[in-house]
Amino acid sequence: MSESAHRVVVVPAVLDSIDVVQAEFDAWWTELGEDSVATRFSFETAVVEIATNIVEHTHRAEGTAGREFSLELTADASDVTAVFTDNGKPSDIDLSTVTMADIDDESGRGLALAIAALDTLDYRRANGRNIWTLVCKR
Amino acid sequence: MTSIDVREADGGVVLAPSGRLTVVTAPQLRAAVAERIALGDRIIIVDLSVTDFVDSSGLGALVSCLKSARQAGGDLRIVAPTEQVSMVLRMTNLDRILQPRASVADALHG
Repeated sequence: MSESAHRVVVVPAVLDSIDVVQAEFDAWWTELGEDSVATRFSFETAVVEIATNIVEHTHRAEGTAGREFSLELTADASDVTAVFTDNGKPSDIDLSTVTMADIDDESGRGLALAIAALDTLDYRRANGRNIWTLVCKR
Repeated sequence: MTSIDVREADGGVVLAPSGRLTVVTAPQLRAAVAERIALGDRIIIVDLSVTDFVDSSGLGALVSCLKSARQAGGDLRIVAPTEQVSMVLRMTNLDRILQPRASVADALHG
């Protein structure tokens, strides 16, 4: 098992990029050689939800023309970490207020699912960029 | 990408979305279920045994399709979800309204 695998991908902020993100995640996870499928499924679920949130936020706020986001996947002995960076407008999300949608709602589960799947989820704005940091314990 | 295999069964129709059911592919499931309801099917079985991964958009599509089936006087039942899919159903409490059946035969018989 490799303790550290590192991968960076930069993609346009469009929905088709979610498939690219998952393909990169799959290759990174294979390289990492982590055995826990529970960790994989939790972390992959959160990565997909945040990627989707970035694309949808970008699309709502300003259209997707020329917009892109990056995903950096890293690992050490204790954690797996994903950092998303995008140059879109600031998000006004307050993660402390996110709750799971009711069972008959057709939307509104993405961020709540990411929060539930991760050990920590952090959003901050720095140098004109949105930075999302996702961490799962290994 | 996903592909949705559709096959008619005795008492219902079985849709099997293979691969990932995410924001990219969930509209395909909504469209396929809407088409079958329009054709007169009432018992919609979604076979998740070939679905590797579902995100919140895929879950939203399943809830939407369940409502559509019930509004038409029918039902939607899910079968044999894989490990990641079972996890997200539990985490969102959707396993209360989408209770997995072990097999297509079980789902067809209620």
